[in-house]
Amino acid sequence: MFSNYFKIAFRNLWKNKAFSFINIAGLAVGMASAILILLWIQNEMSHDHFHEKADRIYTLNNRDKFNGDLWAWSSTPKILGPTVKQEFPEVEDAVRTNYSTFLLSVGDKHLNVQGYFTDTGFLNMFSFPLINGNTSTALNSINKIVITQELSKKLFGDENAMGKIIRLDSTDNFTVSGVLKDLPNNTKFDFEYLLPWSYMNKIGWNDSAWGNNSVQTYVLLKNNVSQKTFDAKVKNITIDHTKNTGDASTTQVFTQKLADQWLYSKSENGQYVGGRVETVKLFAIIAAFILLIACINFMNLSTARSEKRAKEVGIRKVVGAQKRLLILQFIGESIMLAFIAFVLAILIVELSLPGFNNLVDKKLYIDWSNTSYWLFAIAFIVFTGVLAGSYPAFYLSSYKPVKVLKGTFKASNALVTPRKVLVVIQFTFAIALIICTIIVERQIQYAQSRDSGFVRDKLVYTFIQGDVDKHYDLIRNELISNGAAVSVTKSMSPITQRYSDGWGWSWPGATEDDKKTDFVRMASDVDFVKTMGVQIVQGRDIDVYKYPTDSMAMMLNESAVKVMRLKNPVGSIINADGGEWHVVGVVKDFIYESPYEKVQQLAIMGPKSWFTTIHFKLNPANSTQKDLQLAEKVFKKYNPQYPVTFNFADESYAQKFREEKRTGTLAALFAGLTIFISCLGLFGLATYMAENRIKEIGVRKVLGASVMSITGLLSKDFLMLVIFSLIIATPIAWWAMYAWLKTYTYHIDVEWWVFVLAGLLSITIALLTVSYQSIRAAIANPAKSLRTE
Amino acid sequence: MIKITELEKVYRTEEVETVALNKLSIEVKEGEFVAVMGPSGCGKSTLLNILGMLDDPDDGSFVFNGIEVAHFNERKRADLRKNNIGFVFQSFNLIDELTVFENVELPLIYTGVKTAERKKRVEEVLDKVQIMHRRNHYPQQLSGGQQQRVAVARAVVNHPKLILADEPTGNLDSNNGNEVMALLTELNEQGTTIVMVTHSEHDARYSHRIIRMLDGQTVTENILI
Repeated sequence: MFSNYFKIAFRNLWKNKAFSFINIAGLAVGMASAILILLWIQNEMSHDHFHEKADRIYTLNNRDKFNGDLWAWSSTPKILGPTVKQEFPEVEDAVRTNYSTFLLSVGDKHLNVQGYFTDTGFLNMFSFPLINGNTSTALNSINKIVITQELSKKLFGDENAMGKIIRLDSTDNFTVSGVLKDLPNNTKFDFEYLLPWSYMNKIGWNDSAWGNNSVQTYVLLKNNVSQKTFDAKVKNITIDHTKNTGDASTTQVFTQKLADQWLYSKSENGQYVGGRVETVKLFAIIAAFILLIACINFMNLSTARSEKRAKEVGIRKVVGAQKRLLILQFIGESIMLAFIAFVLAILIVELSLPGFNNLVDKKLYIDWSNTSYWLFAIAFIVFTGVLAGSYPAFYLSSYKPVKVLKGTFKASNALVTPRKVLVVIQFTFAIALIICTIIVERQIQYAQSRDSGFVRDKLVYTFIQGDVDKHYDLIRNELISNGAAVSVTKSMSPITQRYSDGWGWSWPGATEDDKKTDFVRMASDVDFVKTMGVQIVQGRDIDVYKYPTDSMAMMLNESAVKVMRLKNPVGSIINADGGEWHVVGVVKDFIYESPYEKVQQLAIMGPKSWFTTIHFKLNPANSTQKDLQLAEKVFKKYNPQYPVTFNFADESYAQKFREEKRTGTLAALFAGLTIFISCLGLFGLATYMAENRIKEIGVRKVLGASVMSITGLLSKDFLMLVIFSLIIATPIAWWAMYAWLKTYTYHIDVEWWVFVLAGLLSITIALLTVSYQSIRAAIANPAKSLRTE
Repeated sequence: MIKITELEKVYRTEEVETVALNKLSIEVKEGEFVAVMGPSGCGKSTLLNILGMLDDPDDGSFVFNGIEVAHFNERKRADLRKNNIGFVFQSFNLIDELTVFENVELPLIYTGVKTAERKKRVEEVLDKVQIMHRRNHYPQQLSGGQQQRVAVARAVVNHPKLILADEPTGNLDSNNGNEVMALLTELNEQGTTIVMVTHSEHDARYSHRIIRMLDGQTVTENILI
């Protein structure tokens, strides 16, 4: 019986090649999109689930009130880890990680590499397997380093790295004590080397301040310890340890499961409530819809051409087939089709994965060695086949043989048919995605056109490394004297980023509540205004060379002045970070963080703070290339060990739009795919419509109808469906975009013309799709079409 | 074998009510060859559809082989049909995507006959209707006469007790038509009951008895032998 089904299914496919192509291609594209999204979702959802002890590993987090709101954050004091381990028997181990960048040198090879300082227990707590070395001893003394396989390859080529020496910056030598298998693509951890925590003490990076939140702390709870009981115990640890000191803290500590951290990192009211999980949900919905849309094509085309198979159904019934068997036959057929489409979809996925990985910034791949992937593939095919095939199966199998075999059978032409409903679903989704794409693009443009408040053009920065700090004055003088730059400024962070913020400050007129106001810190030695191109509105720029007391000077931005309620800010004394800073100037607000948000209060502090970065404004008299060559010479001269890396402020500013640009690109991509699949279906429907109405068209032409009027007649029905879809899509898209835009302080309004544009766009595309068949039917010779009756 | 009593069937559309069968009573005995004649719209096709259990009556009784089937559900009717009744249509109604062999094989598949047995029986019956040499051809590669012979083969492959033929020669020239009638006669002589709807007096003369219908009722019955 099955071979009979198979034969007839295959012959049907072969006989109607155009139909089969449309059906399979649409389904394959839909399946491929869904598979790509599912791969992404699978990766997101599996982050850090692979650790063997994942169910017992928690991150420690802080919770406190600032600027009137309750916040949660995951950076913790360095002292927290050892303290919980010592004080709570529930804790089996506690491990900290501290991000660092060092120049690693092997012979003539110098690489700037990022990695972690961490505690000895790191390799035992997390499941990052060592290819070489021992997890318990790899980090147990100060001069040991563990590197990843990738870094080992970069530094030592194919040689075994174990026992070899790596120099850190130009100061200390480390022995490779372990080589790690490269990190999997589903972990939040991102490092190329691990260094023992003890080295932090040696270089003076360690401290035991409860108020300095700068490292990540992880705890491994003992078996049978519940998160709830531990949370209740650990809650007041910071408060208890600071209550009798001058810096009494109000910060509470709580845990989050490591496996949850990736998806739930957005804090609201002191709780982690969302984050990437929202994108995961959104993408899951999009994947489901794209698959549904592809299945709808299948349903529509199968039922549209069902008249052709009505006879077969009739005959099968006459010779004794029950409805149940026919349903089974048709669902079987659609599963077969889904299988063919799946094979094609896998091909599309494999071809498009590199591009998709680039777009979503991941390393996704299909792991064919994993049996669960195979099981999933089978389930996916059957699911798609049943989803696509069930409606046609019930539809086809319910034909009355009496009607179809006598030739009196005619498909209904009712006002609302399931087919029309399905087309409307497709186009509603497609139009909604078009609207979203336009609005996301407009929002990005809007934010990009917002005045950043500083001049990004020809502004370059580089990080202070090696001997740069020692020779800074010489470097600065030479950059200007050799014509590479017109001004040079040291700062705490790149102008486009915030590295530091703090609270507990006081100023004339400040209340106790003001101690909970958080200020962002930046720093300058000289020429901040000139180099960055910010505007000064009161007072003067910091210049420690002209005014030595400027080492404790401070400039505020306008928002800070407002928050501090200072009438005459210049000359005010601000108590901050244990010192008295005198305000010398006020600058206009400039965007150093999100271009979508209000600019937060900022203090630019004199050299008594600290520096990490050198900014310089290139000399406009030269070409950028020439300036950079000249600048490179200077840095090479004073810091020959280190590779010179210059960063452009306009490029790093553009990074701020990366997430939104990605959202925009993905929305456009999915909108395009949805339109493509929907139009494939529409084209198929138009084909059958033209075939079914061939006699009507013939009669109309004989009676004198023009080609134009017939084309219009045939296209009108489809046009109505698209317009109807637009009406449904408009409020849905409006609501979704309204909610999305609301997450930005600076955002566009949703304007009516966007909907008109999306409508016109989709109508044009739909018309182009059906017009080919409509015109073909309209110009056909009526004598021919009438004779076939 | 068939006994219908006061059978009624009315087709309704929004405006028109058409009485297709009006308290019709007919009896067909086992082994009979009955021709049903009458003008278009007299209800003969409706009668055939009800006899073939493709349609159900509005009222009245239909006893098939001693069982009242007038109100059987679709499943039961399908069961009864596949084991007892073969159909021959005016327009042949072969499945275009299946070969001659596969078309004839179809009823055996639905009655669950094993592959080897199926092959034997299909070949037997194809031999009988002299179309064996065309077994691997598709319907559209055959002449009308050949297609109808395949249709007859399909109707009898399951050894049905009853064959219902709806103008079996309507689409054929007289030579091919006569061949098909000869085939039906032969089947009847071997014991199969046949009810045939026809417009052709010539074809009707192959039967034992002619039932003439008008407006959903029988008007006359001519017994020919």
